[in-house]
Amino acid sequence: MINRRFGYKAGVLAGLGLAAVGGLLFIPASGLLKFAPFLIALFVLAAGLSILETSANPFVIAMGPEESATQRLNLAQAFNPVGANIGVLLGAIVILPNLTPEAAKVIMSPAQLHDAQEHDLSLVLGPYLGIAAVLVLIWVLIALRKMPTPAEERQGEGEARTGALRRLWRNRHYRYGVAAQFFNVGAQVCAWSFTIQYARDVVGVPPGSAGWYLQASLLLFLVSRFVMTYLLGIFRPTKLLALMGALGVGLSLIGVFSQNKVGLLAVVGISVSLSLMFPTIYGVALRGLGEDTKFGAAGLVMAILGGALMPPIQGKVMDQSGAAFGYIIPAICLALVTCYALFDLRTHRNGGRLVAEGAH
Amino acid sequence: MWKRGRRHPGQLAPRLLAVAGAGLLAVLSLACGNDKDKVTLGLIVKRESNPFFVKIEDTAKDTAGDDNVKLLTAAGKSDIDNRTQVAALAKMTAEGAKGILITPANSSAIVPAIEKARRAGVNVIALDTPTRPRSAVNALYATDNFEAGDLIGRYAKAKAKADAIEPKIAMLDLAPGITSGQLRHDGFLKGFGIKDGDRRIVGSVNTLGETGRGEAGMKALLAKDPGINIVYTVNEQAAFGAAAALKAVGRSNDGVILVSVDGGCKAIKDYVRPGVIDATAQQYPENMAREGVKALAKAARGGPKPTGFLNTGLELITRDPVKGVPSEAVAFGVRNCWG
Repeated sequence: MINRRFGYKAGVLAGLGLAAVGGLLFIPASGLLKFAPFLIALFVLAAGLSILETSANPFVIAMGPEESATQRLNLAQAFNPVGANIGVLLGAIVILPNLTPEAAKVIMSPAQLHDAQEHDLSLVLGPYLGIAAVLVLIWVLIALRKMPTPAEERQGEGEARTGALRRLWRNRHYRYGVAAQFFNVGAQVCAWSFTIQYARDVVGVPPGSAGWYLQASLLLFLVSRFVMTYLLGIFRPTKLLALMGALGVGLSLIGVFSQNKVGLLAVVGISVSLSLMFPTIYGVALRGLGEDTKFGAAGLVMAILGGALMPPIQGKVMDQSGAAFGYIIPAICLALVTCYALFDLRTHRNGGRLVAEGAH
Repeated sequence: MWKRGRRHPGQLAPRLLAVAGAGLLAVLSLACGNDKDKVTLGLIVKRESNPFFVKIEDTAKDTAGDDNVKLLTAAGKSDIDNRTQVAALAKMTAEGAKGILITPANSSAIVPAIEKARRAGVNVIALDTPTRPRSAVNALYATDNFEAGDLIGRYAKAKAKADAIEPKIAMLDLAPGITSGQLRHDGFLKGFGIKDGDRRIVGSVNTLGETGRGEAGMKALLAKDPGINIVYTVNEQAAFGAAAALKAVGRSNDGVILVSVDGGCKAIKDYVRPGVIDATAQQYPENMAREGVKALAKAARGGPKPTGFLNTGLELITRDPVKGVPSEAVAFGVRNCWG
């Protein structure tokens, strides 16, 4: 809505501003020491980042010649894993090693526990304020920069959209692709969200070291993406997707049953299988859609809802059966992704040009 | 030539970045640095090969590093090596230690050396094991062993009631005259609601806290009464032996309530997690070290001297909690185990 009415630049600025507000909301949240204000701050931060991503991608595409649009988008998206790695690094250096030891809390008085809680929360506050400061700085830089962008055409949109939705729903490769993307993003967020907990609760890795396993996971993801890009030039994408899906299932199951360092390394290794999935599913699902590609792409982006819905399920399983057994959830998700790849390998569809390529 | 007029917005970017970077550096420099006076402290443990004492030493070193403390360390060659500890006390006092933490190998033989150090102005805290008399040191930082026994006694009683079993108890003790073992034994009886000589106690054996003796003792008791269904073990080494003896006669984990004290990583991960040991009272050697270093450093810098007894904490770790007995999940035990 913002992009349509005020342009992409306004959308980017709105996203940056809202995210910065979310970062600053950690100040009152850490003063109140209650769960709900932290959730609100995180929600506002995440809402701002969602608006930012939704605005930034088409903004990048629109700000230059069409023939180099995909390259610009891939270059912009290449910074995603870099940012993710820096974030985890901050956690591993600034937050985790300085948390009050859990054993120390066993003998603390209520007043001492309160002070310890305040101290631990202050560790979180610093990085979020830093993020807010950087977002404000970027906001100022973009606001002061002149960036002309073309307006979107909106002729016959309503009628075309209705037709597109019907056609997309009837296309099994697309329909199952959205589901596969849902479970892929779910598996990704689940695997990464609980790596530190696995390291601590299953293997007993100290807090200061546990963050490095997540860091290793993200670095593995980054490196594997380049390797997969090369391999995709040699093998059929869905063959590689099926292989990586099966690998992901195997590694997740090792994490479930091997409750030691081997299991932890397997959990870290899941990132290798995840690395090619988002862009591959994106490309395979959109193949041959022609003029319906734009709406189809929107549906695939919405599939990242899996990243919001699957982690609470894994959390519930972990509460009942332990951190190790929780990794049955990514195993199931990746099995479904594998099924999509096998479906594509075994069925035919009409040929068609892939109009745009996404990345995550 | 410097021109007046409006600067292009793009030229502001590098300047803004430089200001932001300088501000960040200023904040970071304020956050670093330690303005406390450097003091010298000492740590003497029984022996360095025992994971319990390794945890004490590692935590003491970490705390010393954070608190601007120079930490001198020494260890005996065995659990009963008093001579090395006496020499270390003298050496650390001569090297300027203002406070010393010690896990005494011999509770009474170490006392003259401790008193000599205290006369030289050194504060001394005993960790884990008390001296005889207790007043020989400034303070004792240790687990409440009676409470540990009581906790697992209460758990065993509640579990027996929940499982509707008629208790037949085996007691795998430490050795006569060792205070910590006696306290745990007495605490277990109190927690279970029985006294020595109760008809429900099949028998007791001394294990010296060793796995081999634990296994042999358990076999002897099983020969006396194969129906034993509750096993008290003074520590986890003895529990490992008891578990081996039970397995050898085909008794399944479900049919026997096995409880212990310590909370080491091997016990938590390989015995409590799969349910071989039903519950263990986890103690925290890191708390002994951390609080000990902090207290002695504070005293060395003019603060109050440590006194009395500090209970360094216990939690019951089990995968099968019972009503009325507070406990923590296995994950808590894994996160906080030692060794």
